[in-house]
Amino acid sequence: MSWIKEDELNLLEKISANVLKAGPMPKHVAFIMDGNRRFARKKHMERQEGHMQGFNKLAETLRWCKHLNIQEVTVYAFSIENFKRTKDEVDGLMELAKQKFLKLLDERDNLEKHGVCVRVLGDLEMLPLDLQELIAKAVITTKSHNKCFLNVCFAYTSRYEITNAVREMAWGVEKGLIRASDVSEALLSECLYSSNSPNPDLLIRTSGEVRLSDFLLWQTSHSCLVFQSVLWPEYSFWNLCEAILQYQLNYKSIQKARDLHQEHQALLQLEADRACVAEHLQHHGNGKPADAQRRQEALLHYTTCREERIQDFLEALKHKRDSYFSDLCSKDVLA
Amino acid sequence: MALLYGLIWRLLLILVHINRALVSWVRVRLRSWIGRLWERAIAALLLPLALAGFPDHQKKLNHNPDANAVTGNRAASRRSRWLSDGRSLEKLPVHVGLLVAEEEPSYTDIANLVVWCMAVGISYVSVYDNHGIFRKNNSRMLEEVVRQQQDLLGVDGSKYNVEVLSNSCDKHQHYVVSCRPTVKVLSPEDGKQSIVQAAQQLCRAVENKERSSKDISVSMLDVLLRESKNFPDPELVVKFGPVDSTLGFLPWHIRLTEFISIPSHRNVSYEDLLNALQQYGSCQQRLGQ
Repeated sequence: MSWIKEDELNLLEKISANVLKAGPMPKHVAFIMDGNRRFARKKHMERQEGHMQGFNKLAETLRWCKHLNIQEVTVYAFSIENFKRTKDEVDGLMELAKQKFLKLLDERDNLEKHGVCVRVLGDLEMLPLDLQELIAKAVITTKSHNKCFLNVCFAYTSRYEITNAVREMAWGVEKGLIRASDVSEALLSECLYSSNSPNPDLLIRTSGEVRLSDFLLWQTSHSCLVFQSVLWPEYSFWNLCEAILQYQLNYKSIQKARDLHQEHQALLQLEADRACVAEHLQHHGNGKPADAQRRQEALLHYTTCREERIQDFLEALKHKRDSYFSDLCSKDVLA
Repeated sequence: MALLYGLIWRLLLILVHINRALVSWVRVRLRSWIGRLWERAIAALLLPLALAGFPDHQKKLNHNPDANAVTGNRAASRRSRWLSDGRSLEKLPVHVGLLVAEEEPSYTDIANLVVWCMAVGISYVSVYDNHGIFRKNNSRMLEEVVRQQQDLLGVDGSKYNVEVLSNSCDKHQHYVVSCRPTVKVLSPEDGKQSIVQAAQQLCRAVENKERSSKDISVSMLDVLLRESKNFPDPELVVKFGPVDSTLGFLPWHIRLTEFISIPSHRNVSYEDLLNALQQYGSCQQRLGQ
């Protein structure tokens, strides 16, 4: 089945969509698509069939999001913990993924028409090489599209993602691109797999479980969490509307909390910069305490240098990540 | 047309708010109605017994002006009831987080919750609000908890020695095994900020050539983050308030945490907490499998 569904909403759905759009709408929604296996048990079908139905529901949900002007969607497709499942099930899921990415490459014209950019987030080296190559091709093919964004978390857990971000910053320090004192919350966010996306506004988990299961723990600290009891393959447009309504009810208070957090972050950064400048002036000063003007100039200069350093480091990181994908692609071409 | 949709949207929100208010009103009324019904039933059953037999017992009570003994008995029976409640649950979390997502927290109610958690058998309780109010008023929190402990558990509450930890004291606390229930007061600084601090520490080690970036692993980061907390990950977070968000609560530690919501912490009852614990007991974790 296809990644893109072209059907329109019916009249009632259109009206409801327009009513919802009168209020604040989430720009980025994350889904934990839970319940495929329970659905399969319920309908007396094979597990694999349950996962297939789950994928179809994903395509349908993307269509609804498009109609609701939700530009970015992130989904939890396969966790690193899922490798613990039986070999049969894991192999089945890898096969399903391969088929789906092949289909995606088939539909590249359609994806271009709709401007869909597909990104895959996770520790991709854990996957079989042929799947990695397909993923690389899919990512590179849709890279320049910018109307809507689909992030698929595959071989992903949040703790691995955060650890990887710390490792990348340590790599930057090793290469002399940044200093340890440059490490901040903002920089860590830029080093996550999801650095090209804003934080999700809304996180939806289906099938009634009320936990995050190691998904986007850093990014969803100030997101609206909605837990719905419907199984993923049975998800409907109205379930999505219900979740968005929850988001709208929480909008003001979450926005307030976000702003408070950002203010605090900015304050911490300023304090850190001041501390570094004070230390620098102490070491390189002429023994006399610096006046306020000199301190201010030094602070400005330090902040500018720090920001330049960080930009260069992020460029280098981006280049490293892009090369990973292009190397995989060229390997396939040579093979 | 846009105006019309805007109007319908506002109407929809009002309807939802009314619905929520109605539901919570009904819940409160139902609880008090059931409570009164139960009391009346018990009274109706016991009154004939009290009138007919046990005259000695009645006299004993009347002749015992020592209020402490009576309250002591009450506290003892409460303690044993709570302990048996805890034992009857399918599973009891080792660490419960109380996330207060409401403005102007009530220290008495939070202290009640903490004491109930400990009485039921939970070893670690953490308290969090995203303004850092609890952290700033650490000592007041401790006072309230001790006071509620005495009120609810009686004077003999020495079994439940409470340790209120805050980051500054951690370095001086070293105990290998702690059987005493421990309370920790958390704020947003313990969340992302402590992950950043751990990252800085590792990067400084790399800067000083003590470590390579390739050495950094999930378990290494986990150990660093645990060192300053000394708590197991929370299995359950009970969230109070209308906000559906974790509001920055310990992002690293909540990967497998169950989230259960209670509408408000103000005038929260023991039954509310027990319900949440029972709900937790029925959650099944498959851990990826």
